[in-house]
Amino acid sequence: MKKDILAILCIILLVVVVINGTNIQSVDEYYLTHIDDITPDSETVTISIRCNTILDNYDDLDPALRSEEFVPADGVILPPTKYVLRPGDTVFDILDRAVRYNKIQMEYQGADKNSFGSVYIQGIHYLYEFSCGPYSGWMYRVDGEFPNYGCSKYELKDGQVIEWIYTCNLGEDVGCIWMGDEES
Amino acid sequence: MEILRIENLSFQYPQAEKKAVDGVSLAINSGEFVVVCGESGCGKTTLLKLLKKELSPVGEKSGSILYKGIPQEELDKRTSASEIGYVLQNPDNQLVTDKVWHELAFGLENLGVPTEIIRRRVGEMASYFGIQDWFRKKTDELSGGQKQLLNLAAVMVMQPKILILDEPTSQLDPIAASDFIATLQKLNRELGLTIILVEHRLEEVFPVANKILLMDQGKILLYDAPRELGQELRNIRSDHHMLLGLPSAVRIYNALNICDECPLTVKEGRDFLEKHFHEPDEQAVPAEYVHSDSIAVELEKVWFRYEKDLPDILRGTTLKVYQGEFYCILGGNGTGKTTTLNVVSGLNKAYRGKVLIDGKPIKSYKGNSLYRNNLAFLPQNPQTVFIKDSVREDFTEVLAGLDVPKSQRSERIQGVAERIGITHLLDKNPYDLSGGEQQKCAIAKILLLKPKIFLMDEPTKGLDAYSKHTLQCILEDLKREGITIIMVTHDVEFAAENADRCALFFDGEILSADIPTKFFSENNFYTTAANRMARQLWPSAVTCSQVVACCQEQVAQS
Amino acid sequence: MKAFANYHPAVLLVYFISVLGTVIFVSNPVLQITALLGGILFSLMLQKRSEIPGNIGFYTALFLMAAILNPMFSHNGVTPLFFLNGNPVTYEAIIRGIAIAVMIVGFLLWCKCYSEIMTSDKFLYLFGKAIPRFSLILAMILRFVPMFKRRWHSVKRAQKAMGFYSTKSYVDRIRNGIRVFSAMIAWTFENTLETSLSMKARGYGIKGRTNFTLFRFYAHDAGILNVCVLLAALTAVGSVVGEITFYYYPRITQLSLSPFAICVYVAFGALSFLPFFIEVKEALVWKYCVSKI
Repeated sequence: MKKDILAILCIILLVVVVINGTNIQSVDEYYLTHIDDITPDSETVTISIRCNTILDNYDDLDPALRSEEFVPADGVILPPTKYVLRPGDTVFDILDRAVRYNKIQMEYQGADKNSFGSVYIQGIHYLYEFSCGPYSGWMYRVDGEFPNYGCSKYELKDGQVIEWIYTCNLGEDVGCIWMGDEES
Repeated sequence: MEILRIENLSFQYPQAEKKAVDGVSLAINSGEFVVVCGESGCGKTTLLKLLKKELSPVGEKSGSILYKGIPQEELDKRTSASEIGYVLQNPDNQLVTDKVWHELAFGLENLGVPTEIIRRRVGEMASYFGIQDWFRKKTDELSGGQKQLLNLAAVMVMQPKILILDEPTSQLDPIAASDFIATLQKLNRELGLTIILVEHRLEEVFPVANKILLMDQGKILLYDAPRELGQELRNIRSDHHMLLGLPSAVRIYNALNICDECPLTVKEGRDFLEKHFHEPDEQAVPAEYVHSDSIAVELEKVWFRYEKDLPDILRGTTLKVYQGEFYCILGGNGTGKTTTLNVVSGLNKAYRGKVLIDGKPIKSYKGNSLYRNNLAFLPQNPQTVFIKDSVREDFTEVLAGLDVPKSQRSERIQGVAERIGITHLLDKNPYDLSGGEQQKCAIAKILLLKPKIFLMDEPTKGLDAYSKHTLQCILEDLKREGITIIMVTHDVEFAAENADRCALFFDGEILSADIPTKFFSENNFYTTAANRMARQLWPSAVTCSQVVACCQEQVAQS
Repeated sequence: MKAFANYHPAVLLVYFISVLGTVIFVSNPVLQITALLGGILFSLMLQKRSEIPGNIGFYTALFLMAAILNPMFSHNGVTPLFFLNGNPVTYEAIIRGIAIAVMIVGFLLWCKCYSEIMTSDKFLYLFGKAIPRFSLILAMILRFVPMFKRRWHSVKRAQKAMGFYSTKSYVDRIRNGIRVFSAMIAWTFENTLETSLSMKARGYGIKGRTNFTLFRFYAHDAGILNVCVLLAALTAVGSVVGEITFYYYPRITQLSLSPFAICVYVAFGALSFLPFFIEVKEALVWKYCVSKI
């Protein structure tokens, strides 16, 4: 019985290592991201990350996060910033580059790990899904519309505007009309 | 005072051809100790179950049963449950709960007795039966004898007026069985409890009983005091099966035809023999023991223990069994007799010493080869041998395992079944058979394996005298075929009558091994009842028939 | 070595519920570690000496596993140490992993003590009155299981000695297991039939059944019960009020050392070590009495 428990844990550990591989990077290596300089003829997109809704639902927020360090007073984690669009870039690629460049913490579930077949953003800047009530999580908007599919499937075009917004109410509070199933 | 009256009671099971109980009438007085005996299947158990309303089997019933003058049907549930106690055969299956104290309280809980009164009554019972030392134990940790004693106490706690027991000692070893009988006797003597007991081992209950009820095919054959019964039985039929089951003293008396009072106990038997016979001028010298030269099983300084921290069970056991020999290992409980068989059969592995089967080390038998046409083991409970729904299916499976072609299977099954005398049982479920029938079928199953060495663990446990006799005939037959038999047993009478050599097992060792006449005549305590009676006159007469032969010789000489 | 086990079942139940409840629901490192130490001490008192090395090995391995697995799955925390496949492995996650390991091992140790001390009869006593039929069924099951095991073993041996599937092959073993199982069903049927006869013979089914028990509630039971409830209440109040709240993510909070928090720590410490204190007290009383004699 005891041996079985240990064996099962060992197997889990092994499976994790085998599936994920062991690509270890130091902190500096990870954040060392090459950002292309913006030239007049380069294609660009704009990205911003905001969590204003939390400010309205502060009572639902996980007590551990009730601090300016995690929820900025104005709700802006990343103000609108322009980044160079490389051919084939998706919403996720831009987000990944932006948070690395700005050393913003982010955790995601890889496309191979879920049923959507797309990367799922679990948390940005220590704010996770369900951190502020049971209907909270991250959504994204491109040019004012909420796409109904994963962020690593959305290929961007020149000049588009991406907004990552934290919702406390399945998107209703940020003006998402399709509701129901969540974002990313 | 008459406590129980049965008037013209008949009972027939549905779909049965004959009546199980047929026109039984008898009266039992308060304080009587009645022993019911008869061959298996004579309707003893059915009669007893009919006496207890709650256990009455389903079927066609006529006649009446009166308890203290009240017909059974009109008896109040509470009175019936508490005043008529019933103890069943199997000590294990009767226990309902997991703790000793809870088991004792179970009956009183059912009657709705308040806690404080239960506490007192349970305490009283536990003290009377000497249960206080294991009062808080789990029922599973008890020995067979303790379990049966607990079953008895759990019934007695309800303060019954009549106690009915159906073969309560058949699953116990002789020492525990004697203790149990002694307890019953004590209850009868000290409390004036009326006891109705079904029992095969008459040696001990015969002298204690007030009356013996002998049943045959559902009818009462005899109902009389023990002293008269033996003789009366012989007068009815001189070859009646039940004669074999009578105590040794009665059997010797019956065989001799001397006009005197019938002896019942060993003491009376000895007085009887000394009164009518005298010591011979010269003692018969037992014949030299002849055995074959090849050794079938040999243990040489074998050591064994079950776990590293537990004490040794076998401590340098040395044993030699010759080809074709019938070897009996006797000894007390828990001394390691069964363990010895387990080591010989390869179920347990010795950690030191040599185990040779047919001259080859047991380790050199790979896979199944030890059990293929070589060695077979009949465990204590023959039921564990069967795992199919019918005896025939079980037999077929054995032959399939031995790769016997399909065409020959039924022929071989028929052959073995005829030889053992179980053709009528082949299509029955093993669990529906009586103890003796199960035993026979188990032996037949093992014979299909065609063993050369046959190990048996307590094969006579729970068998009535006639089934023992049948077993004896089967074993004689096997011996004639040259099969080596090693038997572990408590049954000194059986060993004395059948074994080529007997050995005493004590403290992990075989102490002495010799032919029965020598072995038992040298023992003072561990010997047969017949020998204890006759040892002053003929020390080497061990079995009843030997004593009778000695007596008759003397009669012929004078 | 089981003075604690002799207390009334209700006392024991309250005690175990308060300790196990705290272990599960309160994630304060001081309380967790106290519970772990208390659990270790308690289980050491209950165990046989020979079992200890094996258990130490098991729990250490379990501890390491739990501690390692958490940072692999949880990447929250403000102090990344390095990145594994693009996800951070943080200092906070490692500490949280250790905390979870402390909780799991502590919880298991307490459960082990629970099962040693709250034997079936105590459990039955506590819940028997509420559901009498259930309590009898449970007692019967507890009676039946060891019997079934023993029987299973003896049938298997009997079959083996007849040369059936005594090979080492797994397929054969499984086949043998299935065969034996089918035989066990027939046996179980026969067995229950006889048990039900024995129950009927002793008046089972008559209306107005009572429940008998050996336990009594003594004054010293009340004393210990009061102590338990007091300490547990203090701990509960402390954690509900938030005085001893502790967060691991995203940043490990400062351990609260206010006077009230310290009171809670001490109270829970006393609660965790209660069996040990009782044991020591009994030992001293005994020694004192013996020396007097």
